[in-house]
Amino acid sequence: MTRYDVAIIGTGPAGLEAALTVKARNKSVLLIGPADLSAKVRKAHTIQNYLGLPNVSGREMQEAFLKHLESSEIKITDEQAKNIYAMGDYFAIQTGGADAMYEAETLILATGLPQTKGLPGEDLFLGKGVSYCATCDAALYRGKKAAVVGYAPKEEDEANFLAELAGEVLYFPQYAGEVRTVPAVKVIREKPVEILGDRSVRALKTDGGEYEADGIFILRETIAPDKLVPGLEIEADRVKVTPQTETNIPGCFAAGDIAGPPYQYIKAAGQGNAAALAAVRYLAAKRKQ
Amino acid sequence: MVKVIREADFGQAEECALAVLDFSATWCGPCKMLAPVLEKLSEEMKGKAEFFKVDVDENPNLAVRFAIQSIPALIFLKNGKEVGREIGFKPEAALRSTLESFLG
Ligand SMILES: Cc1cc2nc3c(=O)[nH]c(=O)nc-3n(C[C@H](O)[C@H](O)[C@H](O)COP(=O)(O)OP(=O)(O)OC[C@H]3O[C@@H](n4cnc5c(N)ncnc54)[C@H](O)[C@@H]3O)c2cc1C
Repeated sequence: MTRYDVAIIGTGPAGLEAALTVKARNKSVLLIGPADLSAKVRKAHTIQNYLGLPNVSGREMQEAFLKHLESSEIKITDEQAKNIYAMGDYFAIQTGGADAMYEAETLILATGLPQTKGLPGEDLFLGKGVSYCATCDAALYRGKKAAVVGYAPKEEDEANFLAELAGEVLYFPQYAGEVRTVPAVKVIREKPVEILGDRSVRALKTDGGEYEADGIFILRETIAPDKLVPGLEIEADRVKVTPQTETNIPGCFAAGDIAGPPYQYIKAAGQGNAAALAAVRYLAAKRKQ
Repeated sequence: MVKVIREADFGQAEECALAVLDFSATWCGPCKMLAPVLEKLSEEMKGKAEFFKVDVDENPNLAVRFAIQSIPALIFLKNGKEVGREIGFKPEAALRSTLESFLG
């Protein structure tokens, strides 16, 4: 398996600037996130205060950013990081099933602000029936009953995948519009309010009822940073970083909204630059040893 | 080295000055990731701490005895007495400092 010098998670201004800087320093880079970039870039109305791009729309900013990536020959791996493990010498990044693994010596987290608060019971039952990755954990639910809460249409694929193994799959879409799932998936348009259980998950409670389930998959665009990277230190809901963007895990850096206020495009980009340089320095020091 | 241990020979772990019990299972993803980290730490701490792997499916009584509800779970024993536990995957550096605190 290729082991990258730097893995960057997130395709907002922080992640993109980090990728450009790592590349400019001649290190190999793995950039993971939506290929059409952060929704906060893509969907912005007008942006007044980004250096060199006066009065741009989000679309124009997206185009400018993509062009810049292309001119630096940086490719985006269009996936979502589901679990990241700090192995000591390297980081293992899982984006799907057991074989969807990447390795990198250093890690830059640039995943933005988590958008939603977890459901009551979510933390308590994480790993005891609650999971953020259907493809990773599907094997545990062979013949069992699974509930999938999807916050975007792309999660329908995960529900369909689960339906091949699980005995029964309930899908709770949390968005408007048509749902295209296979017939084996039962679609329920209700809002989850709580996860119930004792030792492990027992049921999903919604605004319309209670649904027994052995496993509950909660599929959002963002995963809380300390869930994504077990052992990561959090302070006031943000990843705790030094002015050099170091987190408490050696070799792991964080930049942009995830690392705390102010929440601004240019600050995110600047901090992404700092994180990239810190990662490059870290690599140099490590290789000297 | 991390030794596989079963209920029948669990006495071995209880006799150690410091034992690290890794409660895990073959189907558990984070356990699989934690295994090489423990392997490495066990080499580093040779002679100071002994590492044991306990498969929760094969040793349900041990899992019950230590009230394991979520894996991976690490339990630290000093002369057979539990002195601490860590639940879930933990980064190498964090585990090293936890272990060092027990060696103190
Ligand atoms: C309505 C609104 C208006 C704003 N107006 C302005 C303004 O005028 N000027 C200004 O400076 N700022 C403005 N901001 C703030 C600005 O949008 C943010 O500060 C900026 O986008 C932060 O960049 P970032 O790179 O840290 O994160 P984001 O832009 O949030 O990008 C995070 C990226 O990470 C990806 N990601 C998340 N989790 C994962 C995962 N597990 N695996 C892979 N990828 C993942 C996301 O999909 C996304 O691509 C505004 C924000 C809002 C909401």
